[in-house]
Amino acid sequence: MPRPESKMINFTIDGREVSAPEGAMLVDAAKHGDVEIPVFCYEPKLGQPVGACRMCLVEIEGIPKLQTGCSTPVRDGMVVYTETERVKVAQQSVVEFLLINHPLDCPVCDKGGECPLQDITFGWGGGISRFIEPKRHFVKPLELSPLIAIDRERCILCYRCVRFSQEISEDYQLVLLERGAHSYVSTFDGHPYVAPFSGNIVELCPVGALTSRPYRFRARPWDIEGAGSVCTLCPAQCNVTITVRDERALRVLARQNDEVDDGWLCDKGRFAYQSFHAEERITEPLIRDGGQLRPVTWERALEQAAGALKRAGANAAAIAGGQSTGEEGHLLARLMREGLGSPHLDSRRAGTLSLDAHRALGAPALQANVSDLEFAHAVLVLDTDPVNDASILDLRLRKGIRRRGLKLAVASPGPSSLDPSAALSIRFKPGAGAAFAAALSAALGASAELETLCGEAGVESAAVRELAELLRGPEPQQGADSELQPREVVILWGERLTAAPNAELGAGALLGIAEALDLANVEGAGMLEVPATANGRGLREAGVLPNAGPGLSQLQDAGRDSAAIAEGLAAGELSALYLLQCDPLRELADRALWERALAGASTVIAHASFLTDAINEHADVVFPAEAYPEKEGTLVHPDGRLQRLRPAIARPGSVRAGWHVIAELALRLGLDFDVLSGAMASRQLFEAVPFYSGLTLEEIGGRGVRWQEREAAAAFPAPASAPSGDGSFEEPADPGEAAGYRSVWDAPEVEHSPAFDFLFKTKELV
Amino acid sequence: MAAPAASPMLLFTDIDEPGLCTLEVYERRGGYESLRKALAMTPEEVLDQLKASGLRGRGGAGFAMGTKVSFLPKGSMDKYLVCNADESEPGTFKDRELMQKTPHMLIEGIVIASYAAGANCSFIYIRGEYVEQADALDAALHEAREAGYVGEDILGSGHSLSLVVHRGAGAYICGEETGLLDSLEGKRGNPRLKPPFPANQGLYQGPTLINNVETLSTVPAIIRISGEEYAKLGVETSTGTKLVSVSGHVQRPGNYEIELGIPSREIIYGLAGGPPEGRKVKCWFPGGSSSPVLTADDLDIPYDFNSLAAAKSMLGSGAVIVVDDSTPILDVALKVAKFYRHESCGKCTPCREGTNWTVKMLERIASGEATPMDLEIMASVQEHIIGNCLCVLGDAMAMPIGSMIAKFRDEFEEHIEAARMARGLNGSAGSDAALAAQGAFDEAPETHLAHHGTGDQAPGAHEGAPGTHRGGA
Repeated sequence: MPRPESKMINFTIDGREVSAPEGAMLVDAAKHGDVEIPVFCYEPKLGQPVGACRMCLVEIEGIPKLQTGCSTPVRDGMVVYTETERVKVAQQSVVEFLLINHPLDCPVCDKGGECPLQDITFGWGGGISRFIEPKRHFVKPLELSPLIAIDRERCILCYRCVRFSQEISEDYQLVLLERGAHSYVSTFDGHPYVAPFSGNIVELCPVGALTSRPYRFRARPWDIEGAGSVCTLCPAQCNVTITVRDERALRVLARQNDEVDDGWLCDKGRFAYQSFHAEERITEPLIRDGGQLRPVTWERALEQAAGALKRAGANAAAIAGGQSTGEEGHLLARLMREGLGSPHLDSRRAGTLSLDAHRALGAPALQANVSDLEFAHAVLVLDTDPVNDASILDLRLRKGIRRRGLKLAVASPGPSSLDPSAALSIRFKPGAGAAFAAALSAALGASAELETLCGEAGVESAAVRELAELLRGPEPQQGADSELQPREVVILWGERLTAAPNAELGAGALLGIAEALDLANVEGAGMLEVPATANGRGLREAGVLPNAGPGLSQLQDAGRDSAAIAEGLAAGELSALYLLQCDPLRELADRALWERALAGASTVIAHASFLTDAINEHADVVFPAEAYPEKEGTLVHPDGRLQRLRPAIARPGSVRAGWHVIAELALRLGLDFDVLSGAMASRQLFEAVPFYSGLTLEEIGGRGVRWQEREAAAAFPAPASAPSGDGSFEEPADPGEAAGYRSVWDAPEVEHSPAFDFLFKTKELV
Repeated sequence: MAAPAASPMLLFTDIDEPGLCTLEVYERRGGYESLRKALAMTPEEVLDQLKASGLRGRGGAGFAMGTKVSFLPKGSMDKYLVCNADESEPGTFKDRELMQKTPHMLIEGIVIASYAAGANCSFIYIRGEYVEQADALDAALHEAREAGYVGEDILGSGHSLSLVVHRGAGAYICGEETGLLDSLEGKRGNPRLKPPFPANQGLYQGPTLINNVETLSTVPAIIRISGEEYAKLGVETSTGTKLVSVSGHVQRPGNYEIELGIPSREIIYGLAGGPPEGRKVKCWFPGGSSSPVLTADDLDIPYDFNSLAAAKSMLGSGAVIVVDDSTPILDVALKVAKFYRHESCGKCTPCREGTNWTVKMLERIASGEATPMDLEIMASVQEHIIGNCLCVLGDAMAMPIGSMIAKFRDEFEEHIEAARMARGLNGSAGSDAALAAQGAFDEAPETHLAHHGTGDQAPGAHEGAPGTHRGGA
């Protein structure tokens, strides 16, 4: 679908000629001339303006009445005044109206100091109030939800929160009740507003009416600093600003990046920060001594770990979890391959995928980005549930449907929160994602195997044909405009589609679909994988795979994948295991096998933040791991965008940087990585991966860079032969296990944040 | 006064005919002949007739109907016609009588207008309180469907129209056209931002023609006598006849059909018989409670759109409310302000806060806690509301209240003095603030969570205090 284009026009504001994009609302256009028009209800993220607060009234030549700047698009030659007497009187009167029922309890209000109502009153208000009547009263403050408090007396009824709930997250919970001056924001029957994205309303509120309960009374704006980073708690990698006071994270706010998150944040990203300072966090190295993990010095822990790894040599194995940076992954891979001569290394949960399949699916031409999801004609969500796998994409798809006319199809084994918005929803058998994709590929290619594959996927062939038609779109009509727009289709697929034992079938089917829909050649079309872990893509590109080196390069000998590592450990063929921010019992498939594997390993070295069951029972050496606001390094977004993590808070206790620990270990194994800083680790990574070549941290900056958009992308290796997907479907032993499914909400960060206690203690509350 | 002038009758010709609400009687009286005539013409010709008639909307804004129809975009998209039967303006009860007594005339008008506008889907949004009228419409609609006047391929013309009678839940704001559309779509009835205007993006985002009951009911008459003939009635910019609902202090309240442009005195004294013996007109609302009040001096103003606008008031819905000299102006102001405070939807700031503030100030005047300075504040609050709101509801309170303060300032000041005397405040300078504060404490903190009703109460402690002028009649 065509992206909005901006043509510049000229208009006059307060006597000055200013050029601004045509059609921009006056409020935004005025900024091009350094003129600020005050607003409360206007928030472009929320869609169409509503013109409710009347704060942005301006005078436009030729129009007798004052007009709202938030809803009047600028036109060429328009003459606008924002400082005439009429406008001033109107602005002052709106401020006066807003304040007559506002409690003016700024000294005890959390918003005080960063409050638009304060700022606008100061800038555009009259300075005095003539109102001597009693103010409106409400019971206050109330819990709107376990996470959010509402003070209805402070509310200026700007509708932002209600619009968010109704039109952005579409949970339809918040409403305005009653009428006129008695109106108030609530849920319909007063039930708590619990929803995956509820915290955004706190940030939207222009007054102190909606406050974060975990943040209430923790700091004033002059006590705090903001530090930009990227949330690593799920693959969506939303950009965040961490509010820091005394080296502690007190709050997480969205940092708008339209190419990633559109300025929204899920509640996990927003409230799980409490886990960084949780009591349960591991803050010093531990060693198993007499059956118990006991704190030791770094020296001792590193010696012990290095000794064990040296003994294991080529029989050592490593698994990197999704919160590791590309740098950590790259150094870990070097440690294993160069230091120990062991190829047994993995970061995927789902089993091996051939190198050719990795290369074919990762081909730059085939990659869609996040905004393609919004502007595509059709999107197929295939074997993933955005709200549970990469939450923020859920909002992007809703936006596409609501504002751009996107047609959404959902194909998944279970119900999806997007079903009500989808044009078509198809359920296939659990674990049969690959078979379903193959069936769709067959339907698009008019292959005769359709019926067999549909049988294996447990779906009606008519439904698959309907889906194929939806993706193909209407047949071009005879005699229609010669300039037919190519159909932009995006396939948003989950990593479990390429899970063992049907990895090659899934990959082949995806490539078949891409071929049939010409995704590689249509601008705005493509595929977007939702990896199972936050930095899944980055770790693969850094070479944390059993069958690929940095930049998906060919290896001499392939190693074992995660499942084979488990089998090797259980069978005694492998002896030592290095776990970089990964808990196999929680995160990897086949828990029973991993129980045996961990018990069978002679040494388990864990780099971890929390003593989860696996670590507590099986780890012999534990290195404390950094939380993401402490880290320095890079991540790769599922669409190929490299993003920078920057340290926002100090590391607690004796926690050391991840790259530092791995480099120290390597040193003890006789390998000098020559890495003395995070930036040096990054440089090594960029040098090792050919298609990152020439990247610098400065270039990545605060918004990130998609490597596909750089020249070096040409260095991406082409597959020798692409998988065909003709393979047959193998029934997974246990479909649930094969799917390796875990919602991103099911995480230690959620468990260890007191804000989320309500999720686990519902019974007590009753 | 003289006997009522012999006005030409178009809407009320047979209004008292027994059984006019049935198809049989309506057809016997020439009903649906206009529809046949219209369907024999092209839609453009029908539209030309409407334009030639000069008919202006009878709901309040007075926008030319033909022009409104022509604003609808051409094309094959779904277009809607919505009849606004949410007659909520205090003093207005003309649509009520039309729908109850001659519902077929409205249905006929809707079908003709939909033909001209190219709409195939129509709704009558009727306020919930009009139970009897909605029942009458439902019954008439059933008959009209049976007879083939509504539905597929009407009278073999190829024009199809679905018509649904939708009952509202009773909110003044749902009479505002965009609030009505939201309500009809099943949402909270709040006005929308304009533009886009309903003619472009209305119901379900489709082009929508919205007209008042009386406007649509006039359409068959225009087709019958032709637009040119209709335009000869009335005066140049206000053509045709108009129903006026006369209420208040008059001897013969009720609905009258008048030719636009007759002197207002003719309506109040001639048709409605003027105030009771021995009383004089103090002020009157020419077009519903939202029109600025006029005084006895203005009685000779011709009753038409432009003359009333020139007198800084408006014809509005044609509801003439007469107030005689037995009623204190404060009571009128309080009644009007309370109504609009109750009906304000709360979406935009000036209306939500301004109506509430105005009521509180008026109540303070009534209870003797105000000073003449408060009149200044009140007048300036009205000025700040007018023209700054999202829809016209805020103006609907601010215009009449502002006009009352301007025209009856002396009486307000007398009232303030008298009420203060009655509270024993006059002359005891310095205690005002203390007593005002006392007043504030008298009022228990309002808790609106439980029920909105509490907020509507005046500070109860002062109600009916001895010596106030409340309820003086």
